[in-house]
Amino acid sequence: MLHEITFTVNDEPVTLAVKSHHTLLRVLREQLGLTGTKIGCENGECGACTILMDGEPVNGCMVLAVEADGHKIETVENLNKSGELHPLQKAFVEKNAIQCGFCTPGMLMMAKGYLARNPHPAEDEVRQAIVGNLCRCTGYIRIVDAILDAAKEVA
Amino acid sequence: MQPFDYYKPKDFEEAFHLMNMPGKTVYPYAGGTDFIPMSRDGFWKCDAVVDVKALPGLREIKETPDGLFVGAAIRMNEIANSDLVKSHWDVLAQGAGSVGSEQIRNRATLGGNLCTASPCADTPPALYVLNATVIIRNAQGERKVAIADFFKWVRQTAVQNGDIVVGVVIPRPAAGAFGSYVKLSRRKGSDLSLVSVAALTFPNGKAANWRLALGAVAPTPIRTPAAEAILEESSDEAHIELAAKSAADTSKPISDVRASETYRKLMVANMTKRAVRMTLSRREKGG
Repeated sequence: MLHEITFTVNDEPVTLAVKSHHTLLRVLREQLGLTGTKIGCENGECGACTILMDGEPVNGCMVLAVEADGHKIETVENLNKSGELHPLQKAFVEKNAIQCGFCTPGMLMMAKGYLARNPHPAEDEVRQAIVGNLCRCTGYIRIVDAILDAAKEVA
Repeated sequence: MQPFDYYKPKDFEEAFHLMNMPGKTVYPYAGGTDFIPMSRDGFWKCDAVVDVKALPGLREIKETPDGLFVGAAIRMNEIANSDLVKSHWDVLAQGAGSVGSEQIRNRATLGGNLCTASPCADTPPALYVLNATVIIRNAQGERKVAIADFFKWVRQTAVQNGDIVVGVVIPRPAAGAFGSYVKLSRRKGSDLSLVSVAALTFPNGKAANWRLALGAVAPTPIRTPAAEAILEESSDEAHIELAAKSAADTSKPISDVRASETYRKLMVANMTKRAVRMTLSRREKGG
């Protein structure tokens, strides 16, 4: 079954036809070419596909594309749309919070959604916030440092 | 993922028409966090889903004369962060806040947590100690099922084909009630419960009543009447020890990849102690 949906992706209105059983993750990557959002476990465990839906972090693999109708979606591609890196991206670069880089888009979006609601987090709060984002290089210390650094900048 | 059709009705009449399409297997659909992986892996097969999120009342949290109403399509984070829920039903907010990760809590719903009926689900033990009632509707009408009668077995509930869970109603606990939800899992976040305990105490004259419910250690959540009776005699350390042992005796855990039966039983005792002590300390501090 095809559904015509209209939603906002990275501040741009989009109308397209999506299949009932396709996830938002798949549609973002395959129909809109936004491959910054990664496919990890597709089971809601790893957080590599974390995007913001109406500002809240969700797993793109756990939302049907048709459910995005009327909602506001933000992906990692939006962070440096102005041509300049987002403070979170700068902090990740400066702190070397990237090893293989696969978890990075999800980490960035999780952090963006989290800092919007909790701009002055303590270290253990940041650790708790990213429990749904796995880094299999296990580079968590630098990721947490980078998010704490960026928090100073964003707030 | 196997193809299926998707409908999002705005009223119950249309919803039940869709739910009862002849020759079709139709599932109610809310947060998708159980449906999508189960369907992707081929465990659940259906011809269509009926998204219940636009049905009247399912996205409401409100206080009614019968208590707190929480709609089935209310998300875990909406419960965990709700000042109304925290005001008198905080143990439910604690349970909802311990589900999965932030990303999952932003999608997973109360109705889904109930209907999936995983023994390790985090909201049912809280609903047991709060004496919640589940409201179910179908084409014939509405019925109310006490939470203790809702769960039948692992992944089996009072919900029949063609039913839609509308929400739960939770009586307001007596003034001076305090509760705690304690969950043990292999890692701190985003993991399933090995053992969970919900505790609630409220004044009864000069004495105190206690309710305890265990999750993940039987096919359904269970209350522990013997342990509750011990705490109602006294909640001093000696009685807490006895109640913990009694709760462990009441539990019927299994051994699986996550933990052994023996370990789970030991942990029922430890988590019961933790939940009771936490509740006592909340009562002492008044919050």
